[in-house]
Amino acid sequence: MVDLPKRKVGIISCSGEELPEGTVSRLATRLVLERLRQEQTVTLCLPLFLAGGKEERAFAKFYPTIAVDGCPKLCAAKATAAYSAEPAARIVVSEIAARYPELKPESRRRLGPGGTELAYKVAEEIAARVDEILARPAGASLVRLGQDTPAEAAPEAACSCQGGGVPSKVVQVAGSPVAILALEPIMAQVLTHKDLTDESLRDKLMQMVKVYNSVPPEQEPEYAEALWREFVAYRTGNGMR
Amino acid sequence: MVERNNKVMVIPCSGIGKAFGTIGREAAHIVVDETRPQATDTVCLSALVMGDEETRIRVQGKACITIDGCPIGCARKNVELAGGTVARALRVVDTYKEHHELKPKAVTELDDAGRQLAQILAQQIADAVDRIQEAE
Repeated sequence: MVDLPKRKVGIISCSGEELPEGTVSRLATRLVLERLRQEQTVTLCLPLFLAGGKEERAFAKFYPTIAVDGCPKLCAAKATAAYSAEPAARIVVSEIAARYPELKPESRRRLGPGGTELAYKVAEEIAARVDEILARPAGASLVRLGQDTPAEAAPEAACSCQGGGVPSKVVQVAGSPVAILALEPIMAQVLTHKDLTDESLRDKLMQMVKVYNSVPPEQEPEYAEALWREFVAYRTGNGMR
Repeated sequence: MVERNNKVMVIPCSGIGKAFGTIGREAAHIVVDETRPQATDTVCLSALVMGDEETRIRVQGKACITIDGCPIGCARKNVELAGGTVARALRVVDTYKEHHELKPKAVTELDDAGRQLAQILAQQIADAVDRIQEAE
């Protein structure tokens, strides 16, 4: 049984050490992860992301992310965009705090009742963005190109769920060119499953593609054939089998 | 107490996934805000790495103590990448190895074990600050 990766939202908090808003960003992120949207979210460690953590950067390329920044410097949002993909949503604590002037953090170490309540407000906004992002169909990004459209015209930033940055690859499906979102990184990930049979790899490939793309049920066999053809070429190109 | 011009910068990783990240952050704040406020300061690690000019200038020429939650050493690596001088690289995991009886579980809000570890680490940071300043 091949496990289907669940579509989740990655939350990247700046956790700025110098400002109370950094502590608020951190607490709000944890509240979403632990209480508000436990099943729908994961967090990414920003310092690891910045230091070149491959898994973190790959995750943010694959999945929609929300950057949670304490101040207008927007370090988390800029880092995500620079090293991975444009975040699907940006939350800035100082902007939310301006709407609640009565909620003041006591210090960067101890938020106190006001700061904690502010963190809950921020957490609720993050959770609302998570719901919005997950409500968008992954397939909204699928682009079907005309017969005459050259393969090079595949859109670079067609993904509505992530707001851009995830490349598409044009594949011939039953003689018609179709842009498949994130096909290259999906194939790279499938290729890491060296212990699976070709049949399982084929299933896994299709399942992962369906997470990010809309595959018409009536055309699924044609898509499967086309995707497998691409994968075999990709695998051969990487010197395997 | 006289505030020093050449403060030691205490920069934790603030890793968000595990308790050790929270402990490192808590310990750094204890030192900077409570036990050595005249001798230390902190900056946002992400701002430093993202090239924020104001942050970079504040770190320039100053000794940095980095606090990392795990052996990957993101704070140390990032401060080095940003051109900072790492005078001492501390790791929460090393403090924990010396105090196995203190097993922190909570990440968002530290439990008793986590708070105790943070206090012990804060003392280690303060000792390192004192040594750095004595040597200057």
